[in-house]
Amino acid sequence: MTAVPAPTLGRELSNSPLDGITNLRFSNTSDHLLVSSWDKSVRLYDASANVLKGEFRHGGAVLDCCFHDESSGFTACIDSNVRRMVFNYGKEDILGRHDGPVRCLEYSYATGQVITGSWDKTLKCWDPRGASGQERTLLGTYTQPERVYSLSLVGHRLVVATAGRHVNVYDLRNMSQPEQRRESSLKYQTRCVRCYPNGTGYALSSVEGRVAMEFFDLSEASQAKKYAFKCHRKSEAGRDIVYPVNAITFHPIYATFATGGCDGIVNVWDGNNKKRLYQYAKYPTSIAALSFSRDGRLLAVASSYTFEEGDKPHEPDTIFIRSVNEVEVKPKPKVYPNPPA
Amino acid sequence: MLNIQNDPHLQVETTCGSLLYELQIIWDEVGESETDRDKMLLQLEQECLELYRKKVDQANRCRAQLRQTIADSEAELASICSTMGERPLNSRQSKQKAGSLKEELRIILMQLEQMQMRKLERKKQFSEILEQIQKVSTEIRGSTGYNLTKEVDETDLSTRKLAELQLQLQALQNEKSDRLKQVMQLLNNLKSLCSVLGLDFKQTVNEIHPNFAGSEETYSISDDTLQSLESSIKRLRGLKVQKMQRLQDLSTTMLELWNLMDSPVEEQQPFQHVTCNVAASEDELNTPGMLSSDFIKNVEAEVSRLEHLKSSKMKELVLKKRSELEEMCRRLHLVPETDSEIEYLTEAIESGALDPSSLLEQVELEIAKIKEESFSRKEILDRVEKWLYACEEESWLEEYNMDENRYNAGRGAHLILKRAEKARALVNKLPGMVTALVAKATAWENERGIEFMYDGIPLLSMVEEYTLLCQEKEHERIRQREQKKLQGQLMTEQEALFGSKPSPLKLQSGKKTSRMSNGSGINRRQSSSSSSSVGGTMLQTQRPDSVQSARATPYSGPKKKGDQNDDLDDDSGAPSSNVRKGLDLADILVRANSFNGHEAESHIIRRPFSPVFSQRSPRVNIENSIENQNRSYKDVPEKKIFLKNDLSPKTTAPIEPTITLLKATTDVDEENMTPKVVPIPPPLTTPSTVSRPMETAMTPALPLRGGINGGDLEEEIEEEVEYSFEEKRAGFVVPNTNAKRYL
Repeated sequence: MTAVPAPTLGRELSNSPLDGITNLRFSNTSDHLLVSSWDKSVRLYDASANVLKGEFRHGGAVLDCCFHDESSGFTACIDSNVRRMVFNYGKEDILGRHDGPVRCLEYSYATGQVITGSWDKTLKCWDPRGASGQERTLLGTYTQPERVYSLSLVGHRLVVATAGRHVNVYDLRNMSQPEQRRESSLKYQTRCVRCYPNGTGYALSSVEGRVAMEFFDLSEASQAKKYAFKCHRKSEAGRDIVYPVNAITFHPIYATFATGGCDGIVNVWDGNNKKRLYQYAKYPTSIAALSFSRDGRLLAVASSYTFEEGDKPHEPDTIFIRSVNEVEVKPKPKVYPNPPA
Repeated sequence: MLNIQNDPHLQVETTCGSLLYELQIIWDEVGESETDRDKMLLQLEQECLELYRKKVDQANRCRAQLRQTIADSEAELASICSTMGERPLNSRQSKQKAGSLKEELRIILMQLEQMQMRKLERKKQFSEILEQIQKVSTEIRGSTGYNLTKEVDETDLSTRKLAELQLQLQALQNEKSDRLKQVMQLLNNLKSLCSVLGLDFKQTVNEIHPNFAGSEETYSISDDTLQSLESSIKRLRGLKVQKMQRLQDLSTTMLELWNLMDSPVEEQQPFQHVTCNVAASEDELNTPGMLSSDFIKNVEAEVSRLEHLKSSKMKELVLKKRSELEEMCRRLHLVPETDSEIEYLTEAIESGALDPSSLLEQVELEIAKIKEESFSRKEILDRVEKWLYACEEESWLEEYNMDENRYNAGRGAHLILKRAEKARALVNKLPGMVTALVAKATAWENERGIEFMYDGIPLLSMVEEYTLLCQEKEHERIRQREQKKLQGQLMTEQEALFGSKPSPLKLQSGKKTSRMSNGSGINRRQSSSSSSSVGGTMLQTQRPDSVQSARATPYSGPKKKGDQNDDLDDDSGAPSSNVRKGLDLADILVRANSFNGHEAESHIIRRPFSPVFSQRSPRVNIENSIENQNRSYKDVPEKKIFLKNDLSPKTTAPIEPTITLLKATTDVDEENMTPKVVPIPPPLTTPSTVSRPMETAMTPALPLRGGINGGDLEEEIEEEVEYSFEEKRAGFVVPNTNAKRYL
């Protein structure tokens, strides 16, 4: 009865972080999972084997992490440092420093750069191949209108979402100024931005249960396709309770995407057909981060309180690895209803 | 007379006679006495005789000398002949033939001369042969070999001897050629060895004897050379054997490693020719360079690479096996031994404390053990599985039974009905199941003398717990029934008193949910708002009023504008938009007051956003959002876009969301129900759901304000800065100047 965990949530990873999970990402080459947390640690799991393969401890809470390759990764830390970790040797070094806590980072396979966004209202590009030391690794600093909250990359495009609902779109090959300066089409604070895998646009979520689907192409035809939809809300007797949408992750094969909100629910959407494909059972607490594995067969779900209501007792922070059925993520052909008579 | 005259003797005789006559005359004249005469005559005769004797002696001596010479010559000839091994054929013949000694001597001397010439010739031959022999034997025996007499043996110059010598020479020459052949063979061997071992042949040979560098003819064939050749061959062979063993060892390990790791053929290919020699004997291994140090080093490197790979693979293998074991344990609901945790294993392997292969063996042993055990556990586990499923269904059914809306027709309702039906049948079977399970488990335990553990918990205790729980539930049910009865009584009494009869059902449900639900504050709120008689909820129902009043007071000006701007999705008419207004205002208020939990709760009832996707909503929503975004430069295109959106799939787009919405709501309902099953609801969850929307309601304040002209908000600048959850948590504060600049 209670001894058996609910199978609908997926397999729970053992040795999960002791404090809020800030992000998790699957490797591009294996089922390894990198997890950053407020408990000042970065952990590397083998998700399919449910094994904790390594742990790094930093000077402060780790707000983001990403893989470099199978054997190394980068972290964004609240102590303003950007670090590189080498998993095999348990070695870490400091790639460079911001003037404020580093909120998010991405590694660009196209340019071999690490891009970090910080609350010091700057974006910095780093070359991890340079010898350790800021003067050799720092490629550039780009001032943003506000504190950077979320980053996403596709090909050479970089989307930066900041406080104050700014969205800057950059071309990594010319970072001198944004290719596009936009304002979020959502009215509330941006939580997460993720580019479409096909590189045509990005999805942006806000604290107010809503996700906007945007397109880079500024032509009328392309912009006509953009839309926003509501999600992660609870409707009770005609009343809505709206939850922040913390996480978006795209399926690597079908380009459908999953969203996770503070309601502890993970939804899978088909952006092209404007359909919800699946809703997973409610997780114990807010969904802090989501990641599909490289083949899209696994979905890592961080069920971890995201401090949306301040300091308060909450469910333990856990990572669930769920196997993804094709039905849950495969776009269904659009059904056209009979034209109105 | 002529004769006499011719004959000196006769002449002498005549002369003598005449002389005697003359003498006689003289004597006669002188008248020598007869005696004197006789005496004189005797004397004369004696003198003559003397002279004769002398001459004869002389002649005799001469003859003897001649004879001697002949004899000597003959002897010499004979000796020469004998030394030459030839019979002195013509000597006797000549003796017979020759009349005089002098003739004989002449012949003999001639023969002698001839023989001597032949002898000389022979000697020359001998010396030549000897010289050759000498040379060959020196070649063979080396300069230090014994010295053969260089002098020709004068005593034996016979052809036999010559032939003998020639034979000897022949033999020697044969030996020499044999040796040469041998040397060549050895050199060939050496060459092949060198090539196999990857050594420089010339250099090796030079070390043995420098003349090997020259042509074949000049090769040294002495014993020493042979010996040193042989020894170096032996040495190299030894080296070869040694290296070969090394190589074979390496290739054996390599083969093993390949086998072990299923190396791909491409990886094996470059070393295939090595491994094919694993069982080769020393002679069979002849490929040049096969045993060179470089090559062996190469192979060694490969082996060490494989070793390395193996150690990592081994680790992987161990870990794989280990996880297999764990998976198995999980499937069998066994608790694996903790001392062999995977991290511990990894560490141990890395530190070298544990040999992976032995570990592997151990893990495999364990797996085998568990496999064995699985047979015995299988039956019971199946039963446990069934029982657990039944329990689940039972709890679901219970929960389902509490749902008043369960008979409402909805999507999938028929399925749920069917499930309930099945569940009921299953629940009926539960007691039987439990007893059977207990019997089986006890039998198992008795048989084995150990407890049957299920995920580390004794199965029997689990079952016991369950039965206890069942009993408890039963009690509860009875108690409730009684209470209900009592209530019914009370109500009838009330009815008798006041004439109206409050629905007992409603009351009941409210109570039930509040008792059962652990997470859904919504349910609770709903129920509480519907039945105000429940005391605890009074507080909540009051909240909206206070907010309403707050709204009514100072912010009526901006509010209206905000309302218009902010009316994102709200198309459902006045009341809800009113509520929204209230929300926005309250939001500002709350911010000003630096919010706390209490305040938070108050917002809940102010629905911040109307139901998601009502039939008309998406359109209106979009339009509204345009209005909202008017202030941005994107104004014109967006408007167009949205209008388009509005026009085109009027039918399709809105309908679909409605469907999803419906589904969503049912899902939500279900999810809200599930927690009820949990016997002891976690106490902390209720407030969480309640206060959550507050957070979202709060954030809108900023953009809203951006929409309004911000003049009257100046004094609130300190609180203007929006913060993400993370920033709040980190206590991150934006420096004041920045904040101002940004606003």
